[in-house]
Amino acid sequence: MEVLALILIPFLAGLLLLIARPAAMARGIALVSTLLSLAVVFWLWYTWTGVAVTGISHDWVPAWGMRFVLGYGGIGLLMLILTGVLFPFIIGTGYKQPVGDPVLVNALLLFCQSALFGVFLAQNAFLFYIFFELTLLPIFFLLLKWGGEHKRAITVRFFLYTLLGGLALLFSIAYVTLQTPLPHSADFSVLAALHLPMHVQMWLFWTMFLAFAIKMPIFPFHSWQPETYTMAPTQGTMVLSAVMGKMGLYGIVVFLFAIVPEGAQYWSSWVIGLSLFGALYAAVIAFRQNDFKRMVAYSSMSHFGLMCAALFTWNAYGISGTMYQTFAHGVLMVCLFYIVGAVSQRTGSNDFASMGGLKTKMPRFALLFMFVVGNAIALPLTQSFPGEWLMYNGLWQWNNWTAFAGVLLIVLGAIYMLYAYQRVMLGPDRNIAVTDADDEEHTFLVPLILIFMLVGLFPNVILHLVDGPVQHLLNSFTSLP
Amino acid sequence: MSALILISVLGVLVLYLGLFAKKSWLAPVGILGLLGAIALFYTGWHINHPLLGGMVVFDRFSIGFNIGMAIITVLIFLFGPDYYARKEHHVAEQYALMLFALVGGFILTSYSSLLMLFLGIEILSIPLYILAGAKKHSLRSNEASFKYFLLGAFSTAFLLMGIALLYGITGSFHLDALAAHMTQSGGSDLMLNFGLFFVVTGLAFKVGAVPFHFWVPDVYQGSPTLVMTFMATVVKMAGFAAFFRFIDMTGMPDALARIMVLLTIATLLVGNVIALKQTNFKRLMAYSSVSHSGFLLLALLSDHGLEAGHGMAVGHTLLYYTFTYSLATIGLLILFTIAKRANNGAEHNNIFQGLFAAKPWLALCALAMFLSLAGIPLTAGFVAKYQVFLLAIGAGWLKVMLFGVLMALLGIYYYIMVVREVFVRPAHTVTFVVSPLNWLVISLCAVGVLVLGVWPALI
Repeated sequence: MEVLALILIPFLAGLLLLIARPAAMARGIALVSTLLSLAVVFWLWYTWTGVAVTGISHDWVPAWGMRFVLGYGGIGLLMLILTGVLFPFIIGTGYKQPVGDPVLVNALLLFCQSALFGVFLAQNAFLFYIFFELTLLPIFFLLLKWGGEHKRAITVRFFLYTLLGGLALLFSIAYVTLQTPLPHSADFSVLAALHLPMHVQMWLFWTMFLAFAIKMPIFPFHSWQPETYTMAPTQGTMVLSAVMGKMGLYGIVVFLFAIVPEGAQYWSSWVIGLSLFGALYAAVIAFRQNDFKRMVAYSSMSHFGLMCAALFTWNAYGISGTMYQTFAHGVLMVCLFYIVGAVSQRTGSNDFASMGGLKTKMPRFALLFMFVVGNAIALPLTQSFPGEWLMYNGLWQWNNWTAFAGVLLIVLGAIYMLYAYQRVMLGPDRNIAVTDADDEEHTFLVPLILIFMLVGLFPNVILHLVDGPVQHLLNSFTSLP
Repeated sequence: MSALILISVLGVLVLYLGLFAKKSWLAPVGILGLLGAIALFYTGWHINHPLLGGMVVFDRFSIGFNIGMAIITVLIFLFGPDYYARKEHHVAEQYALMLFALVGGFILTSYSSLLMLFLGIEILSIPLYILAGAKKHSLRSNEASFKYFLLGAFSTAFLLMGIALLYGITGSFHLDALAAHMTQSGGSDLMLNFGLFFVVTGLAFKVGAVPFHFWVPDVYQGSPTLVMTFMATVVKMAGFAAFFRFIDMTGMPDALARIMVLLTIATLLVGNVIALKQTNFKRLMAYSSVSHSGFLLLALLSDHGLEAGHGMAVGHTLLYYTFTYSLATIGLLILFTIAKRANNGAEHNNIFQGLFAAKPWLALCALAMFLSLAGIPLTAGFVAKYQVFLLAIGAGWLKVMLFGVLMALLGIYYYIMVVREVFVRPAHTVTFVVSPLNWLVISLCAVGVLVLGVWPALI
């Protein structure tokens, strides 16, 4: 029942906003709704016993194996926590950095949250696909109506790009469903028991991977990302990078590793190569950006490259590290894009040229920003540190040279983040009229900083969720013929 | 059978009503008659015996299609009073002609003799030739009528040639005889293959498959919108039902399957690619109609290669696809008429601008219907396409199907471009005037598309 509530709470709240249109209270209602969802997520976490849970199981269209099955395992629960924790902050961004009509914006965000919960709860490939595509619609309208320059062309490109991946995924689902014994079923449990022949897995891997590679994005499929992130309103960018990108990583675990494990193993060196190359490439570009938001967009792409590479190393370090890092990266992205929004709101532009020397005028803000930068470059005691450490460990076990590429990434990451900090905050005071962080910004950033410091101190809170599933995954690999 | 007679008599009755200038009675009487026909079909659900010396069979397939076509016609008639509000003369004839065309459609879904196939196509087409030219003083309408007539006559010649060849081989018009001959000869007979080829050509003309699609955009654009709606929906349903009956009976020998693959690929490619650049909404819908024909052809193609007994799955998919496509098309074309009036007769895609600001509910309806045509999940269009893809994979047409998936992506692009307009604020204020009946039909179509998308088992 709780799982259905997760999908329904944001959906109904969004509907309520659309029908009642309470312009003044819209954000409040949305915030309450996300907090309610968060409470449900915490309840699920509290009652979690380490075994996969199936909350609801109903037939829908039996002829195609389409069933309404909701549930979660450890990794799914982690994704639910991610979505549940971040959305109150994403909604909260609207208080200080409002865009457009609060009723519509918040309703769209809530619909998006509902679909995201659906993605992470779905235990049927078909249902997964439906939610996967539904997440796109609210974001599409959010970008189309409240995006920045060239919003129409960029939004349509983004939409088509992701739909291309979606259709490839749909094709794969249709194909594997028809391979299951009669009566066909698209449940993940049934699909995971399929042992497809190697030559099928070889190509099926790519039709599935395409969808997730575009979502994250991974190197050759990334060209929609920088422009979309830059143009989108802050809340849209947060949803895209902090939560929606994670659908890609999650999809790789539930689809590729479960259904085409041998194909995934066969292509893993290719994927790691592409991902690491993309990560380095994005890191170098991030360094050269003159636009603050674009720089963060490229840094997000760089992180995704590293996470995807570590995921394909096929060892406990790499996979748990990536899963842990999904959460850390989500928190980090919300912080970073909030800061970008707050700074550019004051200076009137995303351009580094319009910033510089802000520290003298806004010392408190600079301090908050410094904490976030520390997290971004994975200083010890921040949340990102255990994740990155695990991922490098995984890469190291896989191959020394990939680990070397990983070390390069650490250096580059530190360079572009600190360089950005320098260009925004440090330098001579240029007498730009800005105000320091106010109460609202403190209420936003301080809890997030607390979260990432605490999880950095006690990473086991998150890691214990994924330990079991990752071991299970690895055992099923070793038992492969 | 009684439904066939009912609709024919109904057409005559409507003509008489026109004679007595009872314009306001036309649509209600027509709708009542159609509802009666639906009830008659429904009660005949389990009766499955051949009629007219075995020339017509009302089996489940044909009854399903007939009910579907009748429902769609009811929706179109509901649109009628508003559409013809400013027209005083010859309204009755238009309703009557549509009813007569519908009778042709009924025959097309249920023929089991090639003779009835020919009769059905003619009964369906001749009223349409007249209807396409219903705007007597419009050059485009005249052009549409003339073009449709010439090309239609041309395709009929092909069809007749094919029927003659098949008759020459089997000595019978019956599909059963043809099927028996096919199994006997193994499909290697050259004359037989030519016969099949010509019949398929004739049918491909009717459903607007490439390379026989050239009439579609011009005729759709030139015809009055209501007639275009009828063509894009009922005529397409009837055409594909006829196509399926023929293909399913012949069992599709390999030579024919090869031709069908070419037709499918060409239709998918041309329909979708040309639609990308259309700025006139009626032409866009025309090319979208061609592209949907491509997906339907893919379903037909899957009849070749599916194990025996799965033929009905193809029939069911065709019905589901054409019906839901029709729902979305009707709603959108009514919206188009409303927007066209609001913009002083312009037909450009951007006439939808400001719809969301002025009529949010209708804009949401438009969104649902566009998404259905594009095939986004939770709409009926998605389920329809998915069924087609499943069939194609099951029948082993993997590469054709992958091509179809790519083309579906292009399709999403041009629908999204129009959706974008719906949510744009126009430069000047536009007032959309919506009659309650139109509002009802649009809402029905949009809700129908969503409900059928969530519970596909309803059809």
